[in-house]
Amino acid sequence: MNAFIAFFKKEMMESIRTYKFYILAVVFVLFGFMNPIIAKVMPDLLGSLLPDGMTITLSEPTALDAWGQFYKNGSQMGIVILVVMFSGIMANEFAKGTLVNILTKGMARPTVIFSKLAAASIQWTISYLLCIVITYGYTAYFWTMAGVENLFISLLGLWIFGELMISFVILGGILFRSLYGSLLFTGGLVVAMTILSIFPQTSSFNPVTLSTMNLALLTSGYEVSKFLSASLVTIVGMIISIFASVVVFNKKQI
Amino acid sequence: MDILQIDGISKQFGTNKVIDRLSFSVKEGSIFGFIGQNGAGKTTTMKMILGLLKIDQGEIKVCGEKVTYGQNKTNQMIGYLPDVPEFYNYMKPKEYLKLCGEITGIPRTELDNKISELLNLVGLIGANKKIGGFSRGMKQRLGIAQALLNEPKLLICDEPTSALDPIGRKEILDILERVKGKTTVIFSTHILSDVERICDEIAVLHDGKVALTGTIAQLKARHSQEGLQIEFLTLNDREHFLNCISTFEKINQIKETKMGLTLFSEEIHLLQAKVFECIMAEHILPTKIEVLEPSIEHLFMEVVK
Repeated sequence: MNAFIAFFKKEMMESIRTYKFYILAVVFVLFGFMNPIIAKVMPDLLGSLLPDGMTITLSEPTALDAWGQFYKNGSQMGIVILVVMFSGIMANEFAKGTLVNILTKGMARPTVIFSKLAAASIQWTISYLLCIVITYGYTAYFWTMAGVENLFISLLGLWIFGELMISFVILGGILFRSLYGSLLFTGGLVVAMTILSIFPQTSSFNPVTLSTMNLALLTSGYEVSKFLSASLVTIVGMIISIFASVVVFNKKQI
Repeated sequence: MDILQIDGISKQFGTNKVIDRLSFSVKEGSIFGFIGQNGAGKTTTMKMILGLLKIDQGEIKVCGEKVTYGQNKTNQMIGYLPDVPEFYNYMKPKEYLKLCGEITGIPRTELDNKISELLNLVGLIGANKKIGGFSRGMKQRLGIAQALLNEPKLLICDEPTSALDPIGRKEILDILERVKGKTTVIFSTHILSDVERICDEIAVLHDGKVALTGTIAQLKARHSQEGLQIEFLTLNDREHFLNCISTFEKINQIKETKMGLTLFSEEIHLLQAKVFECIMAEHILPTKIEVLEPSIEHLFMEVVK
């Protein structure tokens, strides 16, 4: 446990001193502000761009538009930045050989993985929460939350998806020992899941549902039970990924 | 007591057999020099001792306990300094040693004292900047500090002096000499003067096996073919001298150098007498006469040839 805490602190220090955590948090805070504000000003913005004498009628923006922005930004740029920020979490240790000193101190290999997972998860959770709180605050201020259903489950879904990405990045780093390997591994799996999602019948067990069906869930355009089963599959996938990381890492020659 | 026992280990990378049934042991409290050319398998052997590489065959025991690959139990008795130690660049030396100490489970009350003591030993007590800005010598010294942190019974250093300037090298060797007695040191190198300076015992690794082992005095005695080096003013002198000395039958070997000769014999005193005889007889004034003691370098060359 001491080793876990010590290495967890080291991971947090690394993220702070190499600005990774700041970048992640700042991006998500910016998203937090942008989501409701863009939804609010979008009709005026479009209107001002139209030539004189031309009018289009846009419906008044609602809270759903703000959450629409939230999921668009969060599931695309947000996840990409999350993956890029943590792509080196294992790969850099291999590439630089920094683990040699640590492991020869008698640190158990699985502890390395668990403490890295914990540190990355905490940073993801804090950034994501900041984004939610800010978006929620402004959205509630501009509009009402009436008509927004299943918000908690929908938000939780994207968070779980982020956690899955972190576990993929760690496994990819262990398998390929390089930044590119880690990125391509994670990217490849996401592409595979996205291709799978072309077939609607797969959506109830496809993790990618957690990052694409969020808005539909808010208007009850997607069934909660399907979303929950996809969540369950994602959690199982994450556990498998972590287990594989531990097994492969134990066998890795350093 | 033997602190490290290596018993018939082999290691193969693809079709390349790096270590071939290697066996040797290291006594407690000594400084053990592990010598070999680049690529002889020194680092591979060390990594196997640390359980970082899988052993294909044979076994390694540290303090009587068997090393198992991937598990790091025996490592708690070992301190390791890699050839190029890598640290987290964003940390300061104290922070890094603190991390290492916490991982090894050194009680917090002792840790701070221990860290200052070690930083003092390696001369980094005043270096309160991030490791990213350290020179190679400083990193090497910090590497020794981290290796000594858990008071290991065995300190393994992989070419600790190879990339350093003469001052840096001297500092590292001094530190190693200072920790002798508290801990057993194994260090690999191909700088033979370092070996002669501080090692009690050596093993020369060649073709994946120990080609030569023993204390330095033993080895020198065993390979006691001594030589005599003579240099002349002119090549003509050399010619005359050669004519005279070649009648002496106790010479094993004559080597021509640029302006002189190197003579080898098992009876160096007789050889010396004969040499002076020839010099007198031929009226030659040599510029230099030197008895060559068997050096580790000679032994190494003989083995590796």
